[in-house]
Amino acid sequence: MKKTVIDAHNLTRIYDEKTIPVYALNGVHLHIEEGEFTAIKGPSGSGKTTLLNMIGGLDSPTGGWVEINGTNITGLKGGALIDFRLHNIGFVFQSYNLIPVLTAWENIEFILLLQKRPATERRKRVNELLAQVGLNDKARKRPAELSGGQQQRVAVARALAPKPQFILADEPTANLDSVSASNLLDIMDKLNKEENITFIFSTHDQRVIDRARRVITLEDGKIVADTAPASIVHETTGEK
Amino acid sequence: MLLKIAWRNTWRNKKRSLIIIAAVTAGLATGIFLMAFYNGMVEERVKAAVSGEISHIQLHHPSFRSDYDADFFLDNGREKLNRIRKLPDVKWATGRVVLRGMIASAYGSSGITINGIHPGEEDRITGLSAKIMEGRYFNGEKPNELIIGEKLLKKLKLSRGHKAVISFQDTAGNIESAAFRICAVYKTANTPYDESNVFVPISDLDTLAGLPGQFNEIAVLLHASGQLETVQNTLKGEMPGTEIMNWKEIAPELGLTVTVAEQMVYIFMVIILLALAFGIVNTMLMAVLERKREIGVLLALGMNRARVFNMILAETLFLIAAGCPGGMGIAFAAIAITHRTGINLSKFADVYASFGYSPVNYPSLAPGQLLTILLLVVFTAFLSALYPAWKAIRLKPAASIRK
Repeated sequence: MKKTVIDAHNLTRIYDEKTIPVYALNGVHLHIEEGEFTAIKGPSGSGKTTLLNMIGGLDSPTGGWVEINGTNITGLKGGALIDFRLHNIGFVFQSYNLIPVLTAWENIEFILLLQKRPATERRKRVNELLAQVGLNDKARKRPAELSGGQQQRVAVARALAPKPQFILADEPTANLDSVSASNLLDIMDKLNKEENITFIFSTHDQRVIDRARRVITLEDGKIVADTAPASIVHETTGEK
Repeated sequence: MLLKIAWRNTWRNKKRSLIIIAAVTAGLATGIFLMAFYNGMVEERVKAAVSGEISHIQLHHPSFRSDYDADFFLDNGREKLNRIRKLPDVKWATGRVVLRGMIASAYGSSGITINGIHPGEEDRITGLSAKIMEGRYFNGEKPNELIIGEKLLKKLKLSRGHKAVISFQDTAGNIESAAFRICAVYKTANTPYDESNVFVPISDLDTLAGLPGQFNEIAVLLHASGQLETVQNTLKGEMPGTEIMNWKEIAPELGLTVTVAEQMVYIFMVIILLALAFGIVNTMLMAVLERKREIGVLLALGMNRARVFNMILAETLFLIAAGCPGGMGIAFAAIAITHRTGINLSKFADVYASFGYSPVNYPSLAPGQLLTILLLVVFTAFLSALYPAWKAIRLKPAASIRK
């Protein structure tokens, strides 16, 4: 039996609670196992990013809870939550969001520094990661000197650096041309298959959806479809 | 890495950073130089007062200074004077007969302090002969000669060679008067002093006052001001029953001037740094607001709020630190040059003199003040960083990244 990485229960997020309540998420149950390559799709405003933010501990739910590897992160506050994110969750953002004043190498090393890893380990890990994303020759380049695809590959390497439980990628291909998007998906696919790294994407991009091994469809803050095996879907939809 | 990010962030918007660095440079240079200028002004005032008017230490009968009664003279004044002159830290000492009285001419009269002096000895203390602008110093050839301040001379509509009548109370309480011929006119940088002090040879005054061979004041000049308390304590130990006061006690208003000046220079500095702080807060706030998304990402990735705070603090420190060498360099160069050449403000000599200040200023800065400035600068950086850093750590990662 595979290890459960994410267990979200009855997640609800209401914006403008006191005026006109808007349900960004409305009672979502989600169960993600180790090694999944899952795409969350849905129209704009369906709640994809909100769901990812809840799973990533970047936002708090109005109701429900999220458990990561057995830890209820909804109950974590301030420094504890930040520390949890640092050691357990990798993020890839739509706009890459690399630190512009750091080189590709430093952007990756930065996370390891935050984790207080020793210099030799950092050097080895950053080299490995740059090789995995095929950017050894760009190590000393700053983000502004890299193409969008290259920046996103650095972002993936950065997300992988702390050896997280899973990687959340919010529309990772949205700003990329088809070749760059395809290269990026190849890298992530390879990492998933060879190293069993769990990826969860929010996306509109059919190329991502086509490569995903599980596709969850959100509409109006609710899961309306899930291609996972029935056992998982039951857990996801809360059915027992 | 945090410092590296902060340093590089400082130079992301070069133009903006350079403007604030230039402001820090100019502010600091102005502030430090102003401090040195003020120091120079006060130092000159103190130097003039100590070496030209009151000397470092004065000895009196304990009751003398309450009403300047001639009867309160120093017992064994000459012996005391000789003992004082033997002390190694003492440059010179002289005895005086000091009386309060009146000076009168055909046109008017004025209250004055009559200083009966030993001409040669006094000159080694106050350098009175060098302050004579018209006439000659006492040469002992003629009796009853008087040296008068220029301001008083004009007030009484007198001229050199004229006679003026001086009246005072002798030791028996009788009013004594004598005519003195003006042999010289002096001028110091302290107009009020010139207006209220006249000098006569002690030999022409002591007998009239009923104090033949006596002093009611001994003035002591030291080799260095740093020896003040040591010599004062030594004298107190050796001469009980004598009032022994240093210049700060004799002229508390002068001591107060120094204290106020010390406070004023820091107030100037704080005002300048406070004005700079607003500029820095504005710059750093812009830097934070422009980088909301980036800071949100840092928080999302696991950089805790303390580190974000420190990063903004470091950026602010770098911004100020970058302006410090220039500001200090300009200030020190200006101080070094003007300390040697002096700043001549003779154009405003009358204004300065009316407050007892020299029109020539030699700016100077004490090492302790430099340390205080550095601490103030660091404090300003910290203060300026607080609000922008607080804004940064209050950012919500999810909302910031979405921006």
